Formats: sequence, structure tokens, C-alpha cells
Amino acid sequence: MNENENDPLGYNRRDFLKGGSVATLMTMLGGVELLAQAPAADAKVDDTKVKVAVIGLGAWGREILNTLGRLPMAEIAAICDTYPASLRRAATAAPGAAQTPDYKTILANNDIKCVIVATPTHLHKEIALESLKAGKHTYCEAPLANTIEDARAIALAGKASKVALFQVGLQGRSDPQRHFLVPFIRSGALGRSVMARAQWHKKQSWRTASPNPEREKALNWRLDKSVSIGLIGEVGCHQIDQGNWFLSGMPTAITGFSRMSLWDSDGREVPDTVQAMIEYPGHVILDYDATLANSFDGTYEIFYGSDAAVMVRDNKAWLFKEVDAPLLGWEVYARKDTFYKETGIALVANASKSVQQAPKPGETQITNPILSTALEYFLKNAINVEIALNAETREAFKDDPDGLAEIFSKVQKRPAAGYLEGYQATVIAIKANEAAVSGKRIELKPDMYELS
Amino acid sequence: MGLLMKTKFNARGILIGSIAALLLGCGDQSTKSVAVAAPAPPAAEPASGSLTRLDARSGSKMRLEGTSTVHDWQVESPLILGYLEVGPNFPLEPGKSVTPGNVPAKGEATITVKSLRSIEKDGKAYSDTMDQKIYDMMSYTNHPKIVYRLTGLVLKEVAKDKNEPYVFDSKGELAIAGVTNTVSMPVKVMPLEGGKVKVTGTITLKMTDYKIEPANIVIAKTGNDVKVSFEWVLGQKKPAAATK
Repeated sequence: MNENENDPLGYNRRDFLKGGSVATLMTMLGGVELLAQAPAADAKVDDTKVKVAVIGLGAWGREILNTLGRLPMAEIAAICDTYPASLRRAATAAPGAAQTPDYKTILANNDIKCVIVATPTHLHKEIALESLKAGKHTYCEAPLANTIEDARAIALAGKASKVALFQVGLQGRSDPQRHFLVPFIRSGALGRSVMARAQWHKKQSWRTASPNPEREKALNWRLDKSVSIGLIGEVGCHQIDQGNWFLSGMPTAITGFSRMSLWDSDGREVPDTVQAMIEYPGHVILDYDATLANSFDGTYEIFYGSDAAVMVRDNKAWLFKEVDAPLLGWEVYARKDTFYKETGIALVANASKSVQQAPKPGETQITNPILSTALEYFLKNAINVEIALNAETREAFKDDPDGLAEIFSKVQKRPAAGYLEGYQATVIAIKANEAAVSGKRIELKPDMYELS
Repeated sequence: MGLLMKTKFNARGILIGSIAALLLGCGDQSTKSVAVAAPAPPAAEPASGSLTRLDARSGSKMRLEGTSTVHDWQVESPLILGYLEVGPNFPLEPGKSVTPGNVPAKGEATITVKSLRSIEKDGKAYSDTMDQKIYDMMSYTNHPKIVYRLTGLVLKEVAKDKNEPYVFDSKGELAIAGVTNTVSMPVKVMPLEGGKVKVTGTITLKMTDYKIEPANIVIAKTGNDVKVSFEWVLGQKKPAAATK
């Protein structure tokens, strides 16, 4: 049962129980959650920084900026948006950063090593391709694109990249909690797979106010069916990707439904409520729904097995056992939370320091710990690559690009979510939207997931 | 599951302690360490007209291995930069006929400390924490590179055939964490196709010789010896594109 050791990101049970002496002692005293210990106060912190730029400063771009601002290894060197008001608004989160409406000025700056592409989905392709071409370590948000052709082009560029990292913004793939859960689930702790369900419920318009019609259209690209892949594509993409990951397979078919439940008065074309049945190998079905019309129970994913179910919410998870399930042992001591008539056994990895530590005075809590972990992984990986492929190395290998690429391949860690995961998640996102909009069942053949 | 997790935790706890002890050094207090300065830059030497320059290429590897009673550890870097300049009596092609004896040679190899990564025995990444301990141990901030400077090379054994290496005795200065010691070790030189050579060697060093101080955490017994092994691929640079 060493499957966790194979985790490409290096998370494993040792991390989960790191500093376990304290945890064990406290469980003996009366039962608490299993919680990874925070690093010792005197632990040395590596202060190496890397210059990073964020392109696309909508709500998510600003979330990225705010998160980067709390990462010690991030030096936000530049921010970019074609809309001046967005630039100004974002600048408060990155006071020292250069502001530019033209992403090409960022790509031309040799000091900037990392680029985060957070533009509207349909505008990723050109920027991501040029960023990689310019040798920038590139983090491209997911879904990669709104068409399979564009997603393929981006993924192939990521695959072909010789000296630049390519990480896709499927941030759940970086979450220590989920890295703990994958082998836990795959090891059979839930019994036989029964089904899965996931939801994203909010009551909000998804519309952003704008001073002029032209800007209004650009800003509300998610509501424009000519470029948007809708709720299941833009949001569901991340949750369905976890189904692929946890259930060790790719969907074979998607049946979708969609309707306008509430926001039909503003002329939008993209449905505000989407439901889908996503079929996985072995007849396991992920039942997914997303709506902008009701917020009940928020966002979660549940994986059901014959012995237990696991519910994942944000970066937390609980195990709900059947009465006839075998005793695992440790759950006797674990923290319990009550959900109506059910008792959830807390499965808490929380290995990231950001999650565990209360904010210092004057510091606000990281609002998105999973995004934080994903960006941290990306930037640390980039720093390690830049240390090895520094100016001296690049000079030494300037006549030997293949040699440099070989060294790059050895020093880079596998991206938390790489080009292939990004491509596959995007294919599913696009097809799920097609199924939802048409109300049909769409089969997904294995070759659709191949990148050639 | 519970048992497994507990076992893992125990192993980890001891391991962390032992690694800390190991990295901070424990064991005999050798006084063999000598100079504390990095090697001096080479003195101005006559133009190396008769020397052939080989520059570092990809395919290299440097590995440090240590032990403890609980868990062996290892770190590795795929990057050794630097050069070698060798006289005519050096085997640059497979099967080249050369005579045992002194070979005019100089060279320098550098390894960026932060390119070292802790790995499992099977090569998988181990942990960032371990990496950081290694960097701290080597005083990365003040001494970001491990530097080896070759001062002498003697050919001892000529290759028996094209698939066998040539065996040399080497002498040089090795600077780690700001301490320079003279080291001697046998190295093997394997000429490869395409004007490349692979230089391999192994030497066991004592941490205390590099003033890596003992720790005050001793949970497991750790060794002072660290085995250094390297494979260094060098090659003559391709001629620059013809100028018009």
C-alpha cells in the first residue's frame, strides 16, 4: 500500500502525519482531528523570489493577484489588462508592479520568468502560445480554451516546451487534501465504487456591470454563447476533473440538461442551471449540477462506495462510514462533525502552512488556499528550474539546445496539472457543455483524450 | 490503514531527526580540515595552445549519499558545469593510443548547490524539507556552488578495448560550504562518439572535514561519511557557424 509514494507532487502520508507526535499525543488525550503540524517557528525559510506577471485582471485575475501577494516567493513584476479600469483596480493588490495593456511588453521583459494567463477562456490561446515561445514559465487557467482545436494547440505547445514549465490552472490537482484522498479512495477504503456527485450552487447573476455596451459584452463573455462553454465548462471543468482523478478513468459519455431558471430577463444566452450525468468506466456515474439560481449547500464533491462516502468541500473532507464497514482504526480518534443525522469523520491534511496558521495581526486570511497551493507549486518549480538553468548554464549550452532541454527535463518537477490533464479536462468541459445545451447524450471515445 | 499510518509517522519522525542530525553532522571531530577559503583562481598560465578544451555537456550527474541507522539518504543534481583542458596524451576518441604518465590538464567543475535534490532510492523526489536542509548544510547563501579544481592528472591504465575506460589518478581542490580540501581520487575516462568524454569517479568525504558541525539532536546513529559520485560528460564545442 505504498501507492501514495508515487504521488508526483510528493505529497504522501508522511506529509499527512508529519509532526504526528503532537497529533498522536492529542488523540490520546481526547480525540482531535489528524492535522499536519505547522513548520517549526524557527524553520529556515527560503527567500528566493521569482518575477511573475498576471495577464487578465478580471475577478479571477484579481484573486490570483491577491493570492500571489501572500506568497513569499512571488514578486509581482507586471500586471496586464486591455481595459484601463481593470488595470487600475488590480493595481491596489500589486502596488509595485508595472501596468501594461499590452501583454507583449511582459513577454519581452527578460526579468519576468513566470506568466499567469487569466484572460477570458477564448483569449488564452494566443497569449499562452506566445508566452511559451518567449520561454516564460506559463500557468494557463482552465479550461484551456473554448474549442478543442485551441485547447489542442495550447496543450501541444506545453508538451513541446523545452525550457519553460507549463502548468494548467486545475488547482484542485495541487491540493494536499486531495492528494491524500486519491490513494485513500483508490486503496479501497470506500469499498466498491458506487457513484459520485458534485455541485456548484450560487445565487448570483454571473453578470458584471459596465459603463458601456462594448465593454459590457467583453466583460460578460461567460454569458455569450458564441465564446462561453457555460457553467459546466467554466466551473464544472474543475470538479469533473477531480472525478477523472479520483475514479482513475475518463468519462465515456455525458448526458446533459440545461435551462434558464432565473436570469432570463437580462437577455443572456447561456443557461443559468445545468445538470449532467457523466459516465465513467465501470458504470460509475458522476451526477453533476451547477446553478446560479439557488445557493443551497454550496460547492462539494462526494464519492460513494459500498463501505463509506467521502465528501470534499474546498480543502476539507469527511468520511461517512457504513455501519458494517471494516474498522480502519484511526477514525476512532479523529475529529467528528455532525451533518444532520450523519457523523462525518474529518479527513484533514491541510499540509499547507497557509491553511493552518491563523493570520498575523494586520494580515488577512488567504481566501483561496487551494489556488495558493497551486501557484506556490508553480512558482517553486519555476525557481528551481531557473536556479539550474541560470544565465551561466544557458551560456554554457547556447550551442546545445537539446542538452539544455535535457537538463530542464531533469530539474523540473512534473507540473501539478500538466498539458495532458489540462487538455482532457477541457475536452470534457466543451463536450459537457454541448451535451447540456443540446440536452443529448454525447459519447466520448478514448481517442478524444489523446493529444496528437 | 491506521497501523500503516502510524508506522509511517514513526519512521518519519525518526527519519527527520536522523536527517537533521546527519546534516548537521555528528561523529568524530576530525581536524583534517585545512584552508577555509574557496580555491584561489588559477594563476596566470601560459597560453594553452597545446591543450584541448572540453566543456560540460548534458548527461552529467552528481550524487551524494549518506547513511544512518534508520534510512539512507541521497541527493542528486543533473548539472555539472565547467571545463577541462587536456594535453595531447588524453584519450579524446575511443581506442586512442596514449601512454601512461602525467597528462597536462587543468579544469574546473561547479555544481549549483540548489540544483541538488533529495531523492528516494528509486529516483523519485523525496522532499522539499530535505532539500532545504541540504542547502542549509552547505551554507548555500554564502557558498552557492560546490567547486572542484583539477590540479593534477596521471594516466594509470590504458583502456583494454574501445568499450573500456582509461583510468587516471586525479588531484584537485574541492570546496564545499566554504572549506577547501585537497582531494585525490581515481577517475575513469570513457571517450564517447562525437568528441565527448564521460569522466566518472567516486570519493568518500567526511562531513567534519568540511566543518559541518554536529547537531544536538541524536535519535539515530548517523554516519559522518558521505559518498560523492559523479558522471561528468564533456565535449568539444561545435565549431561556431562559419562567418561570412
